[in-house]
Amino acid sequence: MKKRHLLFVVLGILVLAWPLVLHGVFIQHVAALLVLAAISASAWNIVGGYGGQVSIGHAMFFGAGAYGALAAYTDFGWPPVAGVPLGIIAALLIAVLVGLPTFRLQGHYFSMATIAAVELLRILLSNVSVLGASVGLMGPARPRGLADLSFRSPVPYYYLFLAVLALLLVVTAWMERSRLGFYLRAIRGGERGARSLGVPVVRTKLIALMISAGFTALAGGLYALMVGFIDPESGFGLLISVKMVIIAALGGAGTLWGPLVGAAILIPLEESTNALFGGSGTGATYVVYGAIIVLISRFLPGGIAELVQLLSVKARRRAA
Amino acid sequence: MLLEAQGIVKLFGGFRAVDGADLSLNRGEIVGLIGPNGAGKSTFFNCLAGDLRPNAGRIVFDGHDLTLATPEAHARRGLARTWQVPVVFAEMAVRDNVMVGAFLRHPQARAARRKADEVLEFTGLAAQADAPAGSLGTLGRKRLEIARALATEPSLLLLDEALAGLNATETQVAIDLVRGIHARGVTLIIVEHVMSVILSLAQRAVVFNQGHVIAAGAPQAVIEDEAVIEAYLGKRFRRPVP
Ligand SMILES: Nc1ncnc2c1ncn2[C@@H]1O[C@H](COP(=O)(O)OP(=O)(O)OP(=O)(O)O)[C@@H](O)[C@H]1O
Ligand SMILES: [Mg+2]
Repeated sequence: MKKRHLLFVVLGILVLAWPLVLHGVFIQHVAALLVLAAISASAWNIVGGYGGQVSIGHAMFFGAGAYGALAAYTDFGWPPVAGVPLGIIAALLIAVLVGLPTFRLQGHYFSMATIAAVELLRILLSNVSVLGASVGLMGPARPRGLADLSFRSPVPYYYLFLAVLALLLVVTAWMERSRLGFYLRAIRGGERGARSLGVPVVRTKLIALMISAGFTALAGGLYALMVGFIDPESGFGLLISVKMVIIAALGGAGTLWGPLVGAAILIPLEESTNALFGGSGTGATYVVYGAIIVLISRFLPGGIAELVQLLSVKARRRAA
Repeated sequence: MLLEAQGIVKLFGGFRAVDGADLSLNRGEIVGLIGPNGAGKSTFFNCLAGDLRPNAGRIVFDGHDLTLATPEAHARRGLARTWQVPVVFAEMAVRDNVMVGAFLRHPQARAARRKADEVLEFTGLAAQADAPAGSLGTLGRKRLEIARALATEPSLLLLDEALAGLNATETQVAIDLVRGIHARGVTLIIVEHVMSVILSLAQRAVVFNQGHVIAAGAPQAVIEDEAVIEAYLGKRFRRPVP
């Protein structure tokens, strides 16, 4: 137990201090994207992992957050960060509108309904001119002041994202131990049994989806702050949703650290294949994602968390 | 009167699985529900617990009309149940399964955990508290379902063949557990095929056949009833001919 604490402290110091030592922009950029992906995947994990409601449409919340930030700038001249709360509110509304009718669906049917919902939103959005239609929205070309949170270096974003990730981990850890977390796991374990014990299934799913949607939208807003550009594909595209699922599943869905581990593996892998083969969202990305989906579902349905657990059980047996 | 079910009908397509069943129950009773396979006992339970909506009839529990209420509303009112085929949360620890039930009356995790530990002790599952529920065998799962249901602090507990498939020793342990539950003030309806269990536990037996009640009364008298023997028991329980 003591050893584990020490490990956490060392890891924490590394995570906080490395940008002071390593100055490569590529690695800093990848690190910021990694933390951002960990936020999205952890947010997805609340309803998709703990609650077992596998949404493949979480880009609808990510996109709402990103568009909130940049629409506030484009349409009102606000600093993008002031639009993030608007994006979160929009995401919460979408969560209620999409959640209530689809939560009665089970398993794959729920997943398919979320895909349909996000595609519908993407197509609608492509026709709304105040939201940039199919061209998308841009952030301020150069910062008008500190409030625009526009930096050349990825490092300030990295620390901002880390702070949000820490908050999300605290919320998730609290949820794990609370009634909400138990109810979500019970729902994943079987709705019939859960209901017989008094679990209000729809309300529980809705609360979880709203927490999840809020943080996913926050991730979208942060993404827009850093990248300064959003269009229907980079906000609401299928790849955005799929990535959250893959990262959480790779690390271990329904565990606190799983999404972080998944992001730490997938994002460097993805960014280096992108650097090698050029451009994101290209064939290489799909190949990597596809391979990971096949490997996880074939060999490790519980993700790396399951692997770690298996190994530690074995180690304990050997020690005993 | 704790429970009053009148004229319950449940159709599956055109098939009348429950066909005009009546049952009323006083606080503190243990009622045995018996009947041949396919008589509609489990379907009737599902109607009583809100898992199926009856096509006709009325269910009043503890002064509230619960005919069309959801299963979670039944649980809140104090009606708990187990399944003939257990539906435990396999990936969750045994204790966590029970905590899900305990959260109904104890929203704080610490209080729910205390309640769960107390129930685990009472049901003899304390040693397995940290094991995943999926690692339990059928007997353990049935016991866990009872524990989970008890953690909701019910006033009425429906047990659907919770004692099926046990050997003589295990049956005795389970009978003692049911007596213990009853002693805590819980009213029970138990579905069982094993007549000795009904005889030793139930104060009243109700016999189901083809979706409705064909006989009711003291267990000993019921199993000697000609119609019951005809429908269910066969010759085995016939009184020895003098
Ligand atoms: N969901 C369903 N759809 C269609 N028919 C069903 C359904 N559930 C039960 N039945 C049928 O209804 C009848 C009553 O079934 P039920 O399970 O209630 O009987 P039971 O008295 O509990 O029998 P057993 O002693 O074998 O458990 C059976 O003929 C069964 O096949
Ligand atoms: Mg049955």
